[in-house]
Amino acid sequence: MDSPAANAAFAKQISIKFPLLSDMNKKMLTSYGILKGYDVESQSYEWAQRANIVIDKNGIVQHIEEGDSAVNPNNALSVCTDLHKKQSAK
Amino acid sequence: MKRAVCAALLVAALPFSALLTSSAQKSESVAKVSLKVGDTAPDFTLLSDQWKTVKLSDFHGKKNVFLAVYVLAFTGG
Repeated sequence: MDSPAANAAFAKQISIKFPLLSDMNKKMLTSYGILKGYDVESQSYEWAQRANIVIDKNGIVQHIEEGDSAVNPNNALSVCTDLHKKQSAK
Repeated sequence: MKRAVCAALLVAALPFSALLTSSAQKSESVAKVSLKVGDTAPDFTLLSDQWKTVKLSDFHGKKNVFLAVYVLAFTGG
């Protein structure tokens, strides 16, 4: 898992304007069930798979996309846009 | 950022990339994301690239959150 220092270098490199978070002890990845297990030569390893998750203002999961399709953020972005429209209409 | 529809958070995860190219025998157990749409998202506390603590609950009642779990951030993979 990338450290905050490694993320800072990456954020600077590509001018990211949102927080890059580190899950060094895999707590969040575990609680969200995002870790994928591999067995290599009798050793077990786990690492995260790609995932996009949209959580609304009330903390409710509104969208989950995982694996290769999560490389494209467009579906998650349209969920965000729809959420924003619904919330603005209230 | 003020105009952003969602607060975007990126969880960067660097796997054991050397193992990916290993010719050794390996088997996969694909774990599906255990969360479902409609579930309450578990709270988390993580360190940002600015070494500041970020909690999911910080955004409760304020912003929608777009959480992107990003693997192989530094490798172009």
